[in-house]
Amino acid sequence: MKNQTLKFSLIMLIGANLFAQNLDINGYVRSYMGVLTNDNYDYSINQNTLDLKLKRTDDNVSFFANPFIYQYPNQDAQLGLREAYMDVYFDNMDLRIGKQQIIWGKADGMFITDIVSPKDLGEFLLRDFDEIRTGITSLKANYYLGDNTVEMVWISTFTPTIMPDETSIWSRIPEFPLPITIDESQKEIPARLENSEGFIKFSGMSSLLDYEIMAGTMWDDDPTLHVSPIIELGNPQPLGLMLTPKHHQLTLAGGSFSSELGGFIFRGEGAYYMGKQFSALNPNQMNLPTSLLEKDYVHYLIGTDFSIGTAWFSTQFIQRAILDYDDMIVQEELDNTMTFLANRTFLQETLTLQLFGYVGLNNEDALIRPSLTYDVADGFEILAGANIFIQNDESEDAGLFGHYDDNDMVYLKVKYSF
Amino acid sequence: MKLKSILTTIILFSGLTYAQDLTGLEVIQNVYNRPTGNDMTGNLIMTIENSRGNQRVRKIKQYVKTVKGGEKKIMFFLSPADVKNTSFMTWSYDEKGKSDDQWIYLPALKKVKRISSDSKGDYFMGSDFTYDDLGDRHPSDDNHTILREEVIDGKEIIVIESVPKDEEYMYSRTVTWVIKDSWIGLKKEFYDEDDELLKILTVEGQKSFGDVIILTKMKMNNVQRNQFTIMEFSDVQIDTGIPNNKFTERMMKRGI
Repeated sequence: MKNQTLKFSLIMLIGANLFAQNLDINGYVRSYMGVLTNDNYDYSINQNTLDLKLKRTDDNVSFFANPFIYQYPNQDAQLGLREAYMDVYFDNMDLRIGKQQIIWGKADGMFITDIVSPKDLGEFLLRDFDEIRTGITSLKANYYLGDNTVEMVWISTFTPTIMPDETSIWSRIPEFPLPITIDESQKEIPARLENSEGFIKFSGMSSLLDYEIMAGTMWDDDPTLHVSPIIELGNPQPLGLMLTPKHHQLTLAGGSFSSELGGFIFRGEGAYYMGKQFSALNPNQMNLPTSLLEKDYVHYLIGTDFSIGTAWFSTQFIQRAILDYDDMIVQEELDNTMTFLANRTFLQETLTLQLFGYVGLNNEDALIRPSLTYDVADGFEILAGANIFIQNDESEDAGLFGHYDDNDMVYLKVKYSF
Repeated sequence: MKLKSILTTIILFSGLTYAQDLTGLEVIQNVYNRPTGNDMTGNLIMTIENSRGNQRVRKIKQYVKTVKGGEKKIMFFLSPADVKNTSFMTWSYDEKGKSDDQWIYLPALKKVKRISSDSKGDYFMGSDFTYDDLGDRHPSDDNHTILREEVIDGKEIIVIESVPKDEEYMYSRTVTWVIKDSWIGLKKEFYDEDDELLKILTVEGQKSFGDVIILTKMKMNNVQRNQFTIMEFSDVQIDTGIPNNKFTERMMKRGI
């Protein structure tokens, strides 16, 4: 990996020299340290980052590349390419080819119609916006009709959600009543044309309303766990459970809008998902979750942004509802979540105080994220924050956020943008 | 000395006679309707200096176009690095009472977000200019009174006091020094809710393009906080025929 980093540096230097006349180089260097507030004060993260953004534009064509390096103490550096694409501009059409992040929808921090680019959940939902999404190799075409746009996306190869590795504090394996064995042999989707994904979106912007209408056929970014009992000949009692993660195809249609009324921004977003596989209890197998039921579900959100004085606020209500619900399904029929955000700046916008939070209404769990950012100088900022996970001990299920109740942490990020 | 006093009196008197032909509202309407061209492109450098003398500099590329029923403006942030490629678009309307539409593109989010134009009292990028200071406040939003006339650097000036009709407005009143005939606002004082002087805006540079005069350098001095912001335009171009599609979501994302 050290050789890789060296090669990367050489390529960057040569590339920068070759294109120095017209190459636009930006990026940042960041040092990020997090400490768990447990008895041992373990480090949750200790990371140094170099993130480069390279862009060159020539008349009607351009290219963009976003290589990055994550470096951890006593470990080899991790080299990655967040995006690398080319643009071709026509009078009324743009084409973008290559690895790219595609962001849709009007929601903040939620993924309802924003499902074209898969997520990187290696650090749960805590990474910065541009780091939580994975670039996908795709062809994107935008056709413009005044203030309206038709956008079509073809993704040649399926890319799943990146999950934390098993040793990570963010790893989450569902609890089962029997010992489990994981079979990952069916997790891969073969890279062939018939397995490609396609999306289309029609969007518009006007004084009254901004809107998007979209549809897509895709692979479920999150694998469904196929559960089967491990049975020994002559012994009817299962010895354990075999878990086989497998991605299934999904079809969805949805839309979003944003509009201002009386100083309030109102936002909405919703999608109808067809063909989702849900785990269900099997009464013929000791009520173990060995069944799968295919159901449609809707996922939607309503939200508002507003300001009071110099403070800015935002809140959203999100619901996911499984249609034609069966009581044997493990997941609850309705899953309700709220988000809230309060933000205020001081000292000529050099000091920013922010409070962001997710609240799971089903299990009364939450993730609260206060932070304070100070711009020491132009492009140089220090951010101190905390991630506080709350679990309701009386709830049957810990919930998405409550599950990480032991992962409360404080952190510091020092970032220099150039 | 005596001659100077007489001349001053004559000038003031003749100016007063002239001003008596106009109401305060008409003077401000002349300022509001002063020709500014059909479109304008320019680079804006904003220098913000705090009370300790520390400076921060923001660079912006700006396009403005008059369209049927209003104006469209798009700004691309060039520096500092942490806001580079952010863009901000405003559609404003001549129709009285109709709020502006505003959008911001944040490259980290890769998303264009509609934002409320209700926060006109917020300061623009940490400067001493509020969003409202940068916009064209409609003359009918205030009651205007001619206070007096002055001669500054040989120019005849009408001094107008504007009191907002909306009692909740961030300023209790403003006082504007308007150059006669060219209808340029040369200086403006802003008074806070307690009627204490808060800020002084002065025009320090202008450039003529035929009958169009563009203010190229302005200084906003916050006298209460002892800090100031200088806005300076360079490479200004007028009536270059900026296409309508410059003011779209496509261009916000694409950048300059």
